Amino acid sequence: MKQFSLFIILLLTLSISWGYFSENSDKSEVKKLVLTGSSTVAPLLAEIAKRFESLNPNVRIDVQTGGSSRGINDVRARVSDIGMASRSLRLSESELFSFNIALDGISIIVNNTNPVTSLDKQQIIDIYKGKIVNWQQLGGQDATIIVVNKAEGRSTLELFLHYFGLQNTELKPHVIIGDNQQGIKTVAGNPHAIGYVSVGSAEYEAGHQVAIKLLPLDGIIASVENVRNQTFPLSRPLNLITQQQPTGIIKDFIAYASSEQVADLIKSQYFVPVAH
Amino acid sequence: MLKNKLATLLIYLVAVLITVTFICILADIIIHGFSQISWGYLTESPSDAGRAGGIAPIIVSTALIVFLAIIIAAPLGLATAILLTEFAQQKTIFAGFVERCLDVLASVPSIVFGLFGNAFFSLYLGLGFSILSGGLTLACMVLPILIRTAVEGLRATPDDYRFSAAALGITRTTALVHLLLPTAMPAIVAGLILGIGRAMAETAALIFTSGYVDRMPDSVFDSGRSLSIHIYDLSMNVAGGDSKAHAAALVLIVMLLIINAISMGLAKHWQKNRIISNEIII
Repeated sequence: MKQFSLFIILLLTLSISWGYFSENSDKSEVKKLVLTGSSTVAPLLAEIAKRFESLNPNVRIDVQTGGSSRGINDVRARVSDIGMASRSLRLSESELFSFNIALDGISIIVNNTNPVTSLDKQQIIDIYKGKIVNWQQLGGQDATIIVVNKAEGRSTLELFLHYFGLQNTELKPHVIIGDNQQGIKTVAGNPHAIGYVSVGSAEYEAGHQVAIKLLPLDGIIASVENVRNQTFPLSRPLNLITQQQPTGIIKDFIAYASSEQVADLIKSQYFVPVAH
Repeated sequence: MLKNKLATLLIYLVAVLITVTFICILADIIIHGFSQISWGYLTESPSDAGRAGGIAPIIVSTALIVFLAIIIAAPLGLATAILLTEFAQQKTIFAGFVERCLDVLASVPSIVFGLFGNAFFSLYLGLGFSILSGGLTLACMVLPILIRTAVEGLRATPDDYRFSAAALGITRTTALVHLLLPTAMPAIVAGLILGIGRAMAETAALIFTSGYVDRMPDSVFDSGRSLSIHIYDLSMNVAGGDSKAHAAALVLIVMLLIINAISMGLAKHWQKNRIISNEIII
């Protein structure tokens, strides 16, 4: 009897899961797009894709991550239809097509109790190289500077190093962090720390009683507005990449992703929509 | 005497340390995550990159991936273990070779399985980013654990059982099904639980195989995000996702505890049923 009930349970499980094992028959009508690439861009694109799907019920968009370089490789290998990259195309990638959907800036942040209000380029280089070790040398309190750096492999680190003309091996960081959120928490929790994070999230957190302060760069205030009008020097494009001039549904999706209709989604992921 | 007491104290300290570590992790997850858990959280789809909404599609994807992995790996694992213990002589080159291979396979980092799964199941076999390729990759990964524990369990059954069965004229298959496997069942189930645990906690092997899509899957050929990937993404990639990450971690732990309890119960039931029942055909 028990054997029998076990058998029935197994049968039920199988029949329920059968639906999952058989592909839907009407699938031929559904067009499927695969996007791979930058983990920074992926959450934003997943949201845009959901909205696009709700407007176009016969389209399915699968957003996968893996990093900007993977996105570009996958597009080249035709594994994906559209790649996502949080940087511009390199010279060696110039045969691909790139479409800018949003911008992201990188700001130097310090704790908001820190009396220092601006640092020039050379001072930031010296801090990160360990030549300036005390805030007193910069007109601040007598305290050791806690240098917060990004982990290897982050595109934010790449951009920061490139802008300041630094090598990662030259840096003398005290703390190594992963994502923006961690950087903001580290600097907010330590009055003598200095770090660099995405402008959008920093501006949002600074406006929500988090104890951080955005420092201007080359005299230009770090703000989403200045990233948008492209006066802020340390910024990067968030791009969609295709192998050929897009047509059909790919073209529609790219047009939708760079349109005014998704500006609220871009802002809610703390990025800057491109000017229209 | 003093030495003895010191040793006892040390052993207790280690036990307390382990318990405290576990309780600290659990408390942290419960304190930060419990307030986020609601019926809606378990039944809705995620929105705003996971900061809002629930995790229903992610629970379904995780269950499907783990179910597939175990359904594929368990029969293969059990069959290999039976071959190694009951049918192959322990000292043959073949048996030794298989066991060395399993040891190496068990120590391969999960990201290597992920890359293999991506290259073989997703690209070469053309399964793409799908729950099926994730399940197959995890099956490869948990196979060595299942085989190892099942082999240990079968080896631990006393040879007396085998001799007695032979003396009574019971065939090897009958002895295996009614005597040896039930006796080894606790070890086999322990291996199964370890395997399920490893499969559910896996991130690296799944991000390039089952993928990142948080939509409710229609079939196992769809991409589906697992709970561990969801937790990783919320805590490392999404600003303001911490509390939801804690909630998802709490759901994952509760799911694991439930699965452990069920498998333990089933094992006990099966063991009792088989060994004592008069079903044995003499």
